[in-house]
Parts: sequence; structure tokens; C-alpha cells
Amino acid sequence: MNDLIPLISSSINDTLASLSHFYAEIILAAGFLLVILADLFLSRRFTQLCFLISLSTLLLLGVQSVILLNTKTVFLFGGMLKLDHTSILFKLLFCFSSLLFAIFIRYNSPLQKHVKGTGDLFAILLATLLGMNLLAMSMNLLMVYISIEMVSLGSYLMVSYISADKAQTESAMKYALFGAVCSAIMLYGISLLYGFTGTLNFNDPAFINALKNVSGLSSGVAISLVFIGVAFKLSIAPLHFWAPDVYEGAPTPVTAFLSTAPKIAGFAILIGLLPVFQSEGGQTNTQYFDFNVILAVLATASMLIGNFTAIWQNNVKRMLAYSSIGHTGFMLMALFAFQGSGFQALIFYMAVYIVMNMAAFLIVDEIEEQTGILLIDEYKGMGKSNAMLMTTFVIVLVSLTGLPPTVGFTAKFLVFSSAFEAYRNTDSAVILIMIITAAISTLVSLFYYFKIPLNAFLRNSQIQVMAPGNSPKAYLGLLLAILLLVLIVFPSVIVKLI
Amino acid sequence: MIPLSHFLFISACLFCIGLYAVLTKRNAIQVLIGIEFMINAAVLNFVAFGRFDANGGGGQMFALFAIVLAAAGVAVALAIILNVYKHFKTIDPVKTDTLKD
Repeated sequence: MNDLIPLISSSINDTLASLSHFYAEIILAAGFLLVILADLFLSRRFTQLCFLISLSTLLLLGVQSVILLNTKTVFLFGGMLKLDHTSILFKLLFCFSSLLFAIFIRYNSPLQKHVKGTGDLFAILLATLLGMNLLAMSMNLLMVYISIEMVSLGSYLMVSYISADKAQTESAMKYALFGAVCSAIMLYGISLLYGFTGTLNFNDPAFINALKNVSGLSSGVAISLVFIGVAFKLSIAPLHFWAPDVYEGAPTPVTAFLSTAPKIAGFAILIGLLPVFQSEGGQTNTQYFDFNVILAVLATASMLIGNFTAIWQNNVKRMLAYSSIGHTGFMLMALFAFQGSGFQALIFYMAVYIVMNMAAFLIVDEIEEQTGILLIDEYKGMGKSNAMLMTTFVIVLVSLTGLPPTVGFTAKFLVFSSAFEAYRNTDSAVILIMIITAAISTLVSLFYYFKIPLNAFLRNSQIQVMAPGNSPKAYLGLLLAILLLVLIVFPSVIVKLI
Repeated sequence: MIPLSHFLFISACLFCIGLYAVLTKRNAIQVLIGIEFMINAAVLNFVAFGRFDANGGGGQMFALFAIVLAAAGVAVALAIILNVYKHFKTIDPVKTDTLKD
């Protein structure tokens, strides 16, 4: 014990020095506490105070992240966290998604009318965002586990926030039980990795070297177990079946959030752990376990399952859930050329994906609140009764399919070209199959996305739905749709940041 | 002294028992108990491996955090299960099936 005493002063100095790079998280924690206090003492008098506090926290956080964008890499808290360009880009994406989510909550009437109020929901949002920020920076398996749990617990609470009907409680229970099993499996995998390497810091070269000396079978098992936890967050193929149920059951704003931010957080940690997962390369025991092949197979399966199952869905939220599984498979393609153009393509796709998905759910929610319609069959004649909303929806759907003149095309194009680059570099048949599947599934996605405009504009219904005036939510959706149209002309706005 | 392999064997057994409970039990609380088995298998691993840590203490530290997070997770899950019971009057995950393709 005594030989550790000289270390105390140096570790305190390290912690104090790290705090100056930790402002973003301190802002978030302060915002979280303020929201709780405001909800406790002032929510009666100022009903929207919690919303305003979270909004200003998020704006402050966004500005702070943009200023820090071109910072050089720093390790914080004794190598626990790494602050670099990549992690700040991810933080910006999370912040953007949370900002839209906060506005979405503000104008969603079931949440606003709820007896408990929305104060706690904003507090949970900020805590979840804190978890995602830490996840994007973590360099230590302990940090990975803590932050994944922070994100998961926040997500379970958001899904079960209202618990107004059977579907909502059921989806929350499925999500919580399935998520807890996956994180327990991941924890066991982490314990095995720790046993093989003797350290928790996966950035340490000793970690990778020690892992390479273990037999391929054992390290393959440990890596697969850890990957299960990450794959759950990403909702890719074998672990996707919670996603449609949860997306359908959860309140629509929560669905919009779950399909963007935590999924991107999953990508952040997948990128962080990629060197660990791929540590088998160049060794004698590669025949047991090749992570790249597994990833390519899973990406292909996600694209196939997501896009083909979406065709049969009649519930819009369920259809968008399957389509988001397909999008995740698509984003995984960019990881294969990650050293080259893949990184840029992935970040660009994610930024566009947040805009598209948020806009789609905003409009779905607006339609549901105005008319109570959630099934695609019942969209008949909607193009006449609410032309603005449906036109916005069509622009968003064109972008989700990946056709010009929307920025969805640019995003898809960038990912395709980076995947081609990966194919040229490796000549791997699996990657070729993956690219072909991506092309086919893009074509298939046309069928289910265009069922909506087909019903809304070309078919008439006997029942005339009279839509009341649009709420601010509809105009936010319109703004995002215009953004999708503008960004194809000026993609440099995003590219410059990357 | 008990060798490391004994600990690993027990933790592997615990993990499998937990996984078996998760897959077969038709009561949400029993599923939670299974999850708890799995987490504690990992905790046992951490403490056993912690003896051989290069810097000392990493495994024990992780075990403490894992126990706390497991408790937090169970608290949230139990609250959700309570809500399910209010609506369905059962906590059998097989019988709560309003959402499906």
C-alpha cells in the first residue's frame, strides 16, 4: 500500500488537468441537475422551464463542441477517455439528435398532457446524452460498460415513460429484458478479455499483443460475446428483433430518438473497439475467427432482413423500424474502408440519417395527432387533405431511398464508393456480395417507401379526413426536408466539419 | 490455495445456468434472476482475474461497478414489469404479445 502513496499527487494533478478538457460533460451534468431541481420546485409556475433549460444546455454543448472540433488528441483521467476529432464529431451528432428530440417532446401532445409532466424526460435525455458522450470517448472497458449501461437505462426509461397502454408497457419490458441479457453477455465477454490481457485499457498496445497470443478460439469467443452487446445497441441482424416491437410501442418522439442517437453511439463504440475485434489479423490462428467476414455477413443479413421485411409492414412506425435496420447494415459497409474514405462517408451518412429519420417520425407523429392514422392503408386521400405534410413526407422518403435531388443520394453514393474502395483493396468476395446486396436492397426499399405517396396521392378514400391546422412540429419537419434538398447542392457544409 | 481454473469453471457454470433461466423461464422476474446469475458470473471472473492484474485493482474495481449497475438495471426492469402487470395481469413474456408482425 505504501508504495502507492507517491502516486497520489501525480494522479490528482492528472485529474485536474483533465477537467479542463471535460467542459462538455460538466455542462451536461450541470444541466441535468438544473432540470431536476427546476422540475421539483418550479414546474408548477413555469411549465416549459425544463424544456428551456435542456434546450440551452444542448445549444451550449453544440457550440462548445464546434469550437473544440479541431483539437489535438488528448487522453483524460489516466487513459480512461480519449478526446479527439472523431469523438467530437460523434458528440456533435448526438447533440444534434438530442436537440431535435427535445423540440419533438415539446410539441408532442401525449407527452405534454401526461400527468407526470415532461421534466423527468428531459432529465433522462441529458443523462443519456452524457452516457453517449462518454461512450464516444471511452478507451477503457470499464468506461465502455458504464456508459453503455447509462445509455441503456435511459432508453428503457424513455420507452416506458408514459406506459399508457398495453403496447407501450410490453415494448418497454421486451426492451429492458433483452437489453439486460445482452449487456450481461457483454460483461462476461469483457471479463474474459480482461483475463486474457490483464488490463482494461484497450488502447494499450499490450492489450492487443496479449490478445494475439491467446488461441484464436478463446479470443474469438470473448470478442463475439463483447460484440453481442454492441450489436444489440446497433440492432443489426441476429439481434434486431427487439427493434420493430420497441419502435412500434414507444411514444413516437422516443422512437425517433432511439433510431438515431443510441444507434450512432453503437457505431462510436464499434469504431473504438474495432482494433480489438480485428486483432486476429496477421496471426497463425486466423482460420478460427475473421471479424471482417463476420461483420460483412451481418451487414448483408441486416440489409436483406430489414428491407425485405419492411415490404410487408402496414404500420408506419414498424416499417420505419425495419428500414432503419436496413440503414444500419448499409452504414456498416463504410467500416470496411475505414482508414480511407470510409470514415468521412460514415459520418456524412449518419448526419443525413439523423435529419431524414427525425423528419420522417416528426411527420408520422403529426399525422397521427391530427387524424389518428398510423396504418399505411389508411393514408388514402391524405395528399389532398393535407398537401404540405404529405409533400414533406415524400421528400423525406425520396431521401431515405437515396435518390436525387436529395442529400440521401450523396450519402448513399459516398458509402458505395468507399465500399468499392474496400473491395479493390482486399478483393474479398464477401465484400462484393455485400455491395451487390446493398444495391438490390436499395431497389427493394423503393417499394415500401413509395407505398405511402401511392396511397396518399393516387388513391381516394370514401372517408374524407379533415385535417386541422399544422403544429410547429410539421414546420420543423418541413425545415428538415428543405435541408435535405439544400444539402445536395452544398454537401460541403457537413464535409468541411469532417 | 484454490487454483484459478476452479473459479473459471464455477463462473462458466453460473453463466450457463443464468442463460438457461433466461431462455426457459416464463416469468419476467425469473428471467431477471437469470440475468443476475449471468452478471455475477462475470463479477466472479473479474475478482478472480484481478489477482493477476498488472497494475492491481482493476478487476475488483470493475466488480464493484458491475454490482452497482446491475442493481440499477434491476430497479428499472422491476418498475417496468410492475407496469406490465397493471395492464396485462400477467408477467409471462410469452403471453404479452400484442406487438408482432
